[in-house]
Amino acid sequence: MASRIEILNDGGFRSDGRKQYELRDISIDLSSQSSADGSASVSHGLTQVVVSVFGPREAKMRRETIHDRANINVEVNVAPFSAGERRRRGRGDKRILEFASTIKSTFEPVIQTTLYPRSQIDIYVQILQQDGGVLQACINATTLALASAGIPLLDFVCAVTGGVHSTSPLLDLTTLEENDIPHVTVAVMPRTGKVTLVTMETRLHVDRFEDIFRVACEAGKVIHKEMRAAVKERTGALVAAMGAAPRVAGAGAEAGERDVVMDERIDDY
Amino acid sequence: MAAAVASSSTSAPQQTDALKAATFQRLHPRIYLERFLAENVRPDGRAFDQTRDVTVNVGSITTADGSSLVRLGETTVVCGVKAEIAEPELDSPDEGYIVPNLDLPAMCSPRFKPGPPSEEAQVLSDRLNEAFIASGIVDPTSLCIHPGKAVWVLYIDATCINYDGNAFDAALIAMVSALRNTRLPKTTYDEDTGRTTCSRKDRTPLQINASPLSMSFGIFESTHLLADPTTFEEPLLDTTVTVVLKDDGGLVSATQVGLGGVGSQDVLMSCIAAAKKRLTEVRPQIYRS
Repeated sequence: MASRIEILNDGGFRSDGRKQYELRDISIDLSSQSSADGSASVSHGLTQVVVSVFGPREAKMRRETIHDRANINVEVNVAPFSAGERRRRGRGDKRILEFASTIKSTFEPVIQTTLYPRSQIDIYVQILQQDGGVLQACINATTLALASAGIPLLDFVCAVTGGVHSTSPLLDLTTLEENDIPHVTVAVMPRTGKVTLVTMETRLHVDRFEDIFRVACEAGKVIHKEMRAAVKERTGALVAAMGAAPRVAGAGAEAGERDVVMDERIDDY
Repeated sequence: MAAAVASSSTSAPQQTDALKAATFQRLHPRIYLERFLAENVRPDGRAFDQTRDVTVNVGSITTADGSSLVRLGETTVVCGVKAEIAEPELDSPDEGYIVPNLDLPAMCSPRFKPGPPSEEAQVLSDRLNEAFIASGIVDPTSLCIHPGKAVWVLYIDATCINYDGNAFDAALIAMVSALRNTRLPKTTYDEDTGRTTCSRKDRTPLQINASPLSMSFGIFESTHLLADPTTFEEPLLDTTVTVVLKDDGGLVSATQVGLGGVGSQDVLMSCIAAAKKRLTEVRPQIYRS
């Protein structure tokens, strides 16, 4: 028993040195892969995920087109070296199909598909490294990739995992913690506070659920801030690059005024 | 919105020209490329014998025993090495296994359909395997833990996450870099129980005997030899030549697919010479010790 790693020690520190509600380092890279319409690479601590979005484009299979909406197709690829043990999972693996279907149903109400009837939006997820919170990372990366592709969304979707160790809620779990304590993944739309996904596969007492759910929703807002900052930075870089192109006289002043109005609205959030 | 419309109608001539050029490129790719080659330049501005810049990043994936991320222009390949223990073959009891695999998923380019690995991915995986065997990059006997009982299997999995032509060169660099980055745990084999114990802390780097590098060329209409083709140029080339060289410039393999002449001359020898020259230049930047 001496070698057992404590999930939460008496000083309030977790196995990787974080506090209870502390999230892991988030790194977001929005520099696009050239062949994709939009792509994002997100890592939460050691969990690393790359998502590429193609679309809206012509559907590959006619029978999958919907007459008044775009069809969303999600494909998940797990790298064999991503987990502790090498595992080559086929495309038809049930676990992976469930994963893909979860991501699809998370984004279906958020992407404004009615704007692109009879077309297809392909979301390809590549999991490079797994250290807990894989679904969380996939959802965050998908949001950013969709935004980077210019596909209209109702709002950002920010996901975070939460767990409970005896009575203390914990956030953003690593593999070690996920294997040990009951946990839930929550995806929220930060502006409205609406929740698009709650998934839990472990047993948790219903009294504890309320706490962890609330804390996870708050954490979603924190992640939202990071994502917004990344998108703003990238957009700023793009605008600066475009600013080097020839400008039309007259449009400059109006555009400047519009910029000011937009900044005020963004800061309100 | 109104300002945007106004600006497009009075936009600078450069923007409508760019649109025209892009449309022409889509509708008549062959003539588009011909026009560039007639001016002694390629659509991305490179010279015929110029390869794209390579950036290599190793060790970023800690769940793998060795890993690398390589960018050859826009072509991006991620590679991870996982080591497992297995029983050796009966007729080679002291040899381990090296299993390279390249994946070209639908994510990397619109030209790859979702589904089982395409023929192209399988062919490239096989050629990479041939290159490893021929170059002797890792001696299989160095992977032996206990003859006849336990050997290492090195699974080298490379995934292309963005495809802009020439996946073979990028994948080879990625796999070799990942192998150079691989550290195997120290092992002890227990004769009585037949089990191998791996040390959690002690790791030794893999013994690398050679670091092969490759250079690919394509021949356009039997007139021009283009090095390191992009995804735009690739479908227009009727012959491709790939040359794999060792550290000392020695030839590991030369592959030619297609009839392969420029004018009436056979180009294989000139490709090998060009590859030797180019690769000795870039080798120190790619494989840093």
